[in-house]
Amino acid sequence: MYQALLTRRYLTSKVMPLLASLAVVLCTALVLITWSVMGGFLTMLIGSGRTMTGDVVVQWPTTGFAHYEDFIERLKKDPMVEAAAPMIEAYGIAGMPDGRTQTVMIRGVDARFGEVTKYRDVIWWKPISEPLPRDYTREDPRLGSPELMQRLHAQGLSFTRTDNGVEKPAAVLGVEVSGFNRRDPAGFYTPRVRDRLLPDGGLDEVNVFLPSYGDITINVLPLDQSGGVIGTRTAKFPVANEFQSGIYELDNKLVLLRLDALQEMLHMQQAERVVDEPGTGALGQPGALGQPQGQTIIDPARVTHVLVRGRGDMGQRGAAEPLLERVTQIYEEFADAHRGEVPSVFLISIMTWEDLNRTMIQAVEKETALVLFLFGIMSLTAVFLVLAIFWAMVVEKTRDIGILRALGASRSGIVWLWLRYGLAIGLVGASLGVGLAYLVVSNINPIHEWMGRALSVQIWDPKIYYFLLIPNQVETPRAVLVLMVFVLSSMIGALIPAARAARLDPVASLRFE
Amino acid sequence: MGAAQPPLIRVTNLHKTYRMGRALVPVLRGVSLEVGEGEFVAVLGASGSGKSTLLHLMGGLDRPDATPRAEIVYRGVEMTGASVAALDRYRTLDVGFIFQFYHLLPELNVIENVLVGAMIRLGRLGYMRRGGEERDRAAALLDTVGLSHRLKHRPAELSGGERQRVAIARALMNDPSLLLADEPTGNLDHATGERVLEALLALREQGRRTMVVVTHDPDIAARADRVLRLADGVFETS
Repeated sequence: MYQALLTRRYLTSKVMPLLASLAVVLCTALVLITWSVMGGFLTMLIGSGRTMTGDVVVQWPTTGFAHYEDFIERLKKDPMVEAAAPMIEAYGIAGMPDGRTQTVMIRGVDARFGEVTKYRDVIWWKPISEPLPRDYTREDPRLGSPELMQRLHAQGLSFTRTDNGVEKPAAVLGVEVSGFNRRDPAGFYTPRVRDRLLPDGGLDEVNVFLPSYGDITINVLPLDQSGGVIGTRTAKFPVANEFQSGIYELDNKLVLLRLDALQEMLHMQQAERVVDEPGTGALGQPGALGQPQGQTIIDPARVTHVLVRGRGDMGQRGAAEPLLERVTQIYEEFADAHRGEVPSVFLISIMTWEDLNRTMIQAVEKETALVLFLFGIMSLTAVFLVLAIFWAMVVEKTRDIGILRALGASRSGIVWLWLRYGLAIGLVGASLGVGLAYLVVSNINPIHEWMGRALSVQIWDPKIYYFLLIPNQVETPRAVLVLMVFVLSSMIGALIPAARAARLDPVASLRFE
Repeated sequence: MGAAQPPLIRVTNLHKTYRMGRALVPVLRGVSLEVGEGEFVAVLGASGSGKSTLLHLMGGLDRPDATPRAEIVYRGVEMTGASVAALDRYRTLDVGFIFQFYHLLPELNVIENVLVGAMIRLGRLGYMRRGGEERDRAAALLDTVGLSHRLKHRPAELSGGERQRVAIARALMNDPSLLLADEPTGNLDHATGERVLEALLALREQGRRTMVVVTHDPDIAARADRVLRLADGVFETS
């Protein structure tokens, strides 16, 4: 009981315990902030792996594979498969309305893309009823013009735009691709204003909002089935909408086109071919490839990817593995049915979302492990800080220890007095540290933006870190673990001074000056 | 003290040697003493004669030299070879120390300083159960020594005499049989010392406690049942 009383009094009447607590506050906050950001980065990375790809991806890049609709039908019959969608992935050059060009990743998709991925959730221009949490003045353009937003949303879902009554296949851009959207610190985008030179020499301001009336030009290099370049294809696409996945690499580089349009550009659509090449056989006779010369052959449409979404939660590590096995089996049956026309199961690449992102995930995991190692070192620092401060305090309180021993306090009672004191300092320090970490982490993006504005410091570069925003969630289990480690560290730091206090000769302690 | 009544504490052939660097300094050299129940013994002696050491040994705060063999017997129980825990218990329940320099805990207020002994005796659960009673007893003791108006004051806010009266109340808190006072008025002016001594003697009388007082003060010695003089680590024979 006297331990509780003295601990309380020592805590409130001395500067040294406050310094010890402050050291624990800073160590705890630093570790939790670092771990939350790094761990959050890993969590976001893992979560993002599925945002635009689904759970399992079957891919035969560049030239693509045929009969994909049959494959999708086979997949959809399986109880493990929730949905499947075709996709073409290619690279090209996008020309913007102001003459700028940039290299982009192009994906040809259809409405099924939204069933497999989180695309429907990430379409940006859509009606919203509530402003974003930090949009206090309700400046998000999506809050107004509900009819326009409704139309843009429908355009985004169908990858088409109707101009002057004519429906055209359209593009959906990553929200950072065009460079015409200005990101507000509150998180919303506003279309940029561009100057236009008037015939009289004056300047006019043009509001550049691509989904309403802007077009982009897409240039691609179609390849033949052997991978040779056939030529270049250029087409202009109206912009239907934009998306924000939160993954900078996608938001800055990816353009979604309607599948049939991209197939046509890349010569991957269904086509008729007349066999008249020399060496394939005489007219009407079977040729070397078993086709009679002059016969019309239907080349089926091709895609480079089929994306598969499994039933249930596939977001956990390793959860997509059973689905991968099943998709592989289905592909094997499919390849048997189309022998010679599609890549065999041994050649085709079938991967889970985790496999696709493995390099990045492992890199971040290693960085997180490094943070945990630093965590250990920091805990050790806290132990030594508390030890040093407690050592000094035991020296200062030597006479008090002698008095307590003279009154009958046992050695174990004295040990508990100092351990309890360490526990109190650890609890106060670690709790305040966790609170501070919560405060910093939950406001880390505004703080970062402020640092950028006021100090011209940009620590989090989306180009490097992949995401637009710094992870800002403190996971409770992490906070509890950090709290416990630092409380324990404080107690360990107090242990040696406590043992020393208990061993002090009471008579010598009473005479201590 | 009746002749047939056994002494409360008996000390036999007590030796205590301190090490000062490489040198061994004998402080007590074969002290023997019996103190009866309710007796008030004053121990006089020059500085460094071993008076305080004798009190520390009698109070179980220190141990005598292992050789030659010494004995400290309290209520018939040999304390020299007692365990650390047994000595802790002895100091908690049976002994009340009063020091020249008061030795109050500076972070605690007056009543808390008095209550510390009770907290040690009762432990956490016991104190939670009986804290109210103990607080009343502490307040009553402080009232007896004339400090009922100072309960919430810190030691630094008290005069020397007041501090020593708090120390007396603290020493009596667990109702010990044996009071060991080390120059209780040594740090006080004459008038204050007199008041403190009156308070101490009154409280001793109430409980018929045995008291051994180490002092330079002839006034204290004059009020003792018995006076012993310690010189060069042994009692002088008068």
